[in-house]
Formats: sequence, structure tokens, C-alpha cells
Amino acid sequence: MILGIETSCDETAAALVSGDGHVAASVVASQVDLHARYGGVVPEIASRRHLELVTPVVREALRKAGAVLAEVEMVAVTRGPGLVGALLVGLAAAKGLAWGRRLPLVPVDHLHGHVASLYLEPTDLDPPFLCLLASGGHTLLLDVRERGRFSILGSTRDDAAGEAFDKGARLLGLGYPGGAAIDRLACTGDPSAFVFPVARVPGFDFSFSGVKTALLYAVRALEATELEARRADLAAAYQRALVRALVEQTLA
Amino acid sequence: MLTLAFDTATAVATVALVDGEEVLAERRSRAARVLAEAHLMLVDAGRSPGELTRLVVGTGPGSFTGIRIGLATARGVALALDVPVAGVSTLAALAAGASASVPLIDARRREVFALLGEPICLRPADLQLDPGTVCIGDGALRYRVLLEEAGLVVPPDASEVHLPRARYHARLARDFGPAELVEPVYLRAPDAEQAAVA
Ligand SMILES: [Zn+2]
Repeated sequence: MILGIETSCDETAAALVSGDGHVAASVVASQVDLHARYGGVVPEIASRRHLELVTPVVREALRKAGAVLAEVEMVAVTRGPGLVGALLVGLAAAKGLAWGRRLPLVPVDHLHGHVASLYLEPTDLDPPFLCLLASGGHTLLLDVRERGRFSILGSTRDDAAGEAFDKGARLLGLGYPGGAAIDRLACTGDPSAFVFPVARVPGFDFSFSGVKTALLYAVRALEATELEARRADLAAAYQRALVRALVEQTLA
Repeated sequence: MLTLAFDTATAVATVALVDGEEVLAERRSRAARVLAEAHLMLVDAGRSPGELTRLVVGTGPGSFTGIRIGLATARGVALALDVPVAGVSTLAALAAGASASVPLIDARRREVFALLGEPICLRPADLQLDPGTVCIGDGALRYRVLLEEAGLVVPPDASEVHLPRARYHARLARDFGPAELVEPVYLRAPDAEQAAVA
């Protein structure tokens, strides 16, 4: 059984996974509420919270799996990319755990972790495949040739898709995190009410700054009362433009 | 009682291996190397990590990241070995290494962390110490000129009294318990929180 620890951004997570890809336990402690009032992740606040949570999430994972530490054969931990101070908390705790039990410690690339999640049940995907990785912090198109290796075909030239959602939400006066806020509002809106441009970037890269600027102009062009009435339409159209940018570039 | 003590809150980290009252080894280190040093010290002493019966960790004040590396390391090792942990103030450990002196840790932003009854963060010019008082620590070194102009005494740069030494953490440690109950001593709120309050 392998113990995995992740503290690269605003989630403190631990999981126990067996060699055949069975997830015995996965515990994620989100800090999203802590950062909401600041409109984004505050690194120092995140690091402080990771310290409070890092061993409790490991204990909780063991409890959920009905396992004891003696059954763990290896410790894997995110080494980056991410918030440096946050990463160091997970690394230090993992190192301490591995050292105390004389277990091998495996530093794992965070992006590789995203890809490797596809090897676990219930997906059980096997390379080769093309992977669109769009999360809060990254937007990447990956060519996964074999389990241990992948190459980056394209990445964003400006914001990550998640950041574009956050910034759009701020323009629309919605809360943080923006993705969920926009998605909720967009359900009641008409995505074809506004037409936002989808950037055509050569190669396999992404760009979201044009869509964001288009939203800014659309918001400015509306009177306050009108804006209130059409916020759902704006959210729906903005979401559609971002998703189209992701999908069209992936299928290109 | 085989005790591993370490402190990574300041620029120079410290590790000590203590058996009962006897200091088996003590080394200067860097935060990321603390366990590697500890391992060498255990091997030299003919012991193994599994024989440790308790941990002592420096709780700061100092570098936020440094404090967390120390506490996270202690929590990881404590979980692995199922041993109790005690926290010791980095300032108190400094003070224990040089009697009748005031420890000052560089807090950046033109401030120092000082132990004046309790740990506080202030500008060195606001210390208000009696002339002749000895000041130690990397904060004393950084503000040597200013402190000496105020009639205070700062030992030579090379003196070991300026560095925390983990043997004193082991000596000062009381109240061993669960690692998660050992709290960091930041003495400063995160910038964003200060901004939000202001
Ligand atoms: Zn991610």
C-alpha cells in the first residue's frame, strides 16, 4: 500500500492506494472557505492550514481504509509545482513519516499526479491517450505515451482556465471560487445571448485573456439594473466561450 | 530516554541527540537536512530511529516556513514512531545558552522577535533595555551598530551564543504530548489578514 500526500495549493490531501490501482481511502480537506474572503488563495494562510491538517488527513485516511501505518510500504508526496511554502509542509511531514518507518519516499510531480489519477479505478485508463488538464491552477494539453512519461503539447499563454473563471466571476460580482459561482448562475442563463470570441492560438496553446476582456466590455456597456437582469446570460456565454476554447483546441 | 531535538526556525538549524541528561551529539544544519543529520548522529551513536522515545522541536518565532518545516517534520516522525513531542520556544532556547542575556531573532521588515518576559515583535529601537545588557541571536547581529549605540553589548559575530542549540531545547522541554498540540509561534498574522483588518 502506498500513502500519498498532497499540499501544493489550497487542499490538504492524503490517500492510500494499492499497487493494482485500488483506492483504499482518499481524504481531501479543502480550505476554500478560508480564502474566499480574499478572492484567491493566500499562500501564508494556506501554509498555516496545511500544517494543522497534514497529519490529521493521514490519520483519517488510515482510519477510513481500516489500515495501520505498518501496512504502508511507500510514501509519495507532491514536490511541485505549487506554492513553495505549502509544498514544504507536505514534504517535511512525508519525509518525517518515511524516515521514522524507514520507508522509501517518492517525490511526485503534481501534474503527473493529475495524469496518474486516470490509471486508478474507476477509470483504469492505459496510455497512449491525449489529456486535457484543466484545473484551478493549470491548463495543459498533454500527450501521455506511457505510464511514467508524458509531454506537454500546449499550455496557456496567459491565465489558466480556472483563473479566467475567477476573474470573470469578479467582473460579474460573484463569489470565489469563480468556476462554481459562474456555473451555478449560468444554468439559468442563455449562452447565446452574448457572443464572446474564442482565441485562435497557433499550435496547441490556449489563451483566455481575450474572452475576459470581452466580458469586461460587455459588463461596462450595461446599466446597473440591466447588468443585474442579464448577469445569468453573461455567465452562461462566458462559460461557453471558455469551454469552447478548451475543447476546440483539444480536438484541433 | 533517547531524545531527538531540533529547531529549524532560524537561518541556521540545529539538531541534537540526547540520552537522559547526556548530549550524545549536536550539529548545525539546514532545515531540509535535519533528519539526514539526525540519522548520521544515531548511526554514530550505534542507535536507530526506532529507539527514539521522544521529540523536542523549536516552535519559533523565526521564519514562518522554517517553523513549519520543523513542526511538520516532528509531526511526521511522531506519527511514524508513535512518540510524544514537546515544543520549546526558539527564543527561550537561545536564552538558555547565554545566561542574563536578551535573545533577539531577526524578524525582517526592520523588526526583531525578542524575549522580554514573553515573546514579542518590535523595532530594535523600541527595546528599552538597560545599558550594559547583553543581546544575542541573529537579530542582535543584524542590528549590532544600533544596539551598541544604545549602550547594549553584542558578543562577537563568531560566538556560538548567537545560534540556537538543540541541547537547550532538550533541556527546557516539558509537557510531552501529541505532536498536533505543539503550536507554532508566528507572532505575526499573515499579510492578507492584516490588510483585511485594516
Ligand atoms: Zn492541480
